[in-house]
Amino acid sequence: MRNLFTYILSLVGFLAISQNKQILYGFDDIPQSLMLNPGSKVTQQKHYGIPLLSQIHFNGGSSGVSVYDIFKDGNDNINGRITQKLFEMKHTDFFTATQQLELLNFGWRAKNDIYFSGGIYQEFDFIVYFPKDLAILAWEGNRDYLDYPFNLGEISTTGDFMTVYHFGLNKQISDKLTVGARLKLYSSMFSYRSVNNTGTFITRLGDNDSENIYEHIVQNADVSVQTSGYASLRDLDGASQVTNEILGRAFFGGNIGVGLDLGFTYDINEAWTLTASALDVGAIFHSKDVESYRAHGTYTLDGINLIFPALNEGDSTLPYYDNLEDEIEREIPIDTLHNSYTQFRPTKLNAGLSFGFGRFNSAGDCDCLNMGGGKLHKQNVGLQFYAMFRPKGAQMAGTLFYHRRITDYLSAKATYTVDPYSFSNVGLGVSTDIGKLNFYLAADNLIRYGNLAKAKSVSLQLGFNIIIDEE
Amino acid sequence: MNKTISRSIIMVCACLFFSACIKDTDFDQAEDIALTPVVELDLIYFNLNANQFYDSINSNPILTVTDTTEIKFLDDSTLQESLKRAEFYFKFTNSIPRSFQVDFQFLSEANDTTYVAGTSVSEGMPTAPVITEYIENVEGDDILSLTQAHKVVVTVTIPSSNENLEGTLNLKSKTTYFLEY
Repeated sequence: MRNLFTYILSLVGFLAISQNKQILYGFDDIPQSLMLNPGSKVTQQKHYGIPLLSQIHFNGGSSGVSVYDIFKDGNDNINGRITQKLFEMKHTDFFTATQQLELLNFGWRAKNDIYFSGGIYQEFDFIVYFPKDLAILAWEGNRDYLDYPFNLGEISTTGDFMTVYHFGLNKQISDKLTVGARLKLYSSMFSYRSVNNTGTFITRLGDNDSENIYEHIVQNADVSVQTSGYASLRDLDGASQVTNEILGRAFFGGNIGVGLDLGFTYDINEAWTLTASALDVGAIFHSKDVESYRAHGTYTLDGINLIFPALNEGDSTLPYYDNLEDEIEREIPIDTLHNSYTQFRPTKLNAGLSFGFGRFNSAGDCDCLNMGGGKLHKQNVGLQFYAMFRPKGAQMAGTLFYHRRITDYLSAKATYTVDPYSFSNVGLGVSTDIGKLNFYLAADNLIRYGNLAKAKSVSLQLGFNIIIDEE
Repeated sequence: MNKTISRSIIMVCACLFFSACIKDTDFDQAEDIALTPVVELDLIYFNLNANQFYDSINSNPILTVTDTTEIKFLDDSTLQESLKRAEFYFKFTNSIPRSFQVDFQFLSEANDTTYVAGTSVSEGMPTAPVITEYIENVEGDDILSLTQAHKVVVTVTIPSSNENLEGTLNLKSKTTYFLEY
């Protein structure tokens, strides 16, 4: 079992390369679809996620480049390929990784027909935008880029590691409308961000009046990094101490935030259904263990000006170099601040329009999968829309899907998604019930599974639940 | 019928999932990745007045003036490994009616000489400054010597001087660093 778990983890770890769970959204057979739309139709009476195994989610992506683009087998030189990609990519291209692990997930239908659900999950979320100008500067240097203003504002990255405690309500309030809401408490264990930076760096050829050959100019620089949960880690010794300290913050030991998920399902008529949700509308308030660094200013470097002072025997020379270093530190100071800051969560929007056909009634008279009373369709086709708000604007995706209930113990959903990564993302999810045990697996970019190196993004969710349909 | 469909779907998923692989790639190429930036950076500059070559108090000519600055960035282990070639460019603008000998002596922290370079500068006129350009290219084994340097001593020698000497000797300089990481 342990080996199997290790195998699964290493496998998914390997795939770990965003947050769009287009397969799981609207996949009502899986209890975790409630996490994507608290107002989805709940078909079961109770569910318990198997602790630690109810949802393992990995999503990674790179909008501009794939592993294959760089490391493909070929006669051309790898450095040539990197150079080519460097100039092809834009500063809005990004690399992202998200991982979620559910520790607990449970739900039950109360007598008043409200479906309560709650749980705890841990989340890691990271994004870095491609700082194109700085990459060019590092890759090629400044010789061929005289007078070119390298943009320091392209530095944009965030990372968060947190535990989320959540509790939600879901109720069908009319024949057509089901609504839901979920309250979330975030316990941030570690967080950093460097966004809204500005400034340029130029190397300019000086004219006759210039002090030296070049002028190296840092103009209106304002670059900052905010961290929370980092300063106290610095003094710790070794990885185990750091791990213990971070995990100790999981239970509200760090910085606290609050957020809300909202959603609904509306049956327009027998066949058409509209759903929508907004997730993580909230913020984390960083006040403990906060440390921010800010470098700002304008400075022109000309080199070292020798003045040939008349020195007597034994006099020490002038500390030109130290003076220069001091001057730079004075003109572009790096301040360490301890101000509290509020970090808004990256809000996600989901919407879906589905057309259902074929009545699904697996067990004759008793429609056990459908205690809510609405009609379940055997097949659904439709459209989904996803948006997530990131530092440089929203990341959006559109999905076409086909969902089919094959038997009373098996249903499947296939998706075709267009997103910043690619136009050829096909995904498939299956949910199977073996007795009361539910297992689901959803993965996208299947076309690329033949060669993952060509994939620009991979998303995977899997998990085990116990679902109880009867009262 | 349904069982057949469901089994085949599970099989297909399982096959896809477990056959996922990475191919047509060669990660050994990572070793060949080389950043080769070429960095242009100002070095030193000065303006020496003709009167700095004559001690008016004691009425003595000063035939040699010298100054020293630290250049700590050269004596850095990262730079030592990655510097492949350094090209120094010195541009003298001389309006003093004398030629000069300018020497650059690179010293380690313990004041051992690690590298020397020097050039003569053509004589100019106060009304018509003369430009002398000098390029010192350092590569190969010399790089190791150069990157041991912690400071540089600049010595400017004038063959003769008097109190009526006019003009300035101006130096602008830069280095082009050819790096490879």
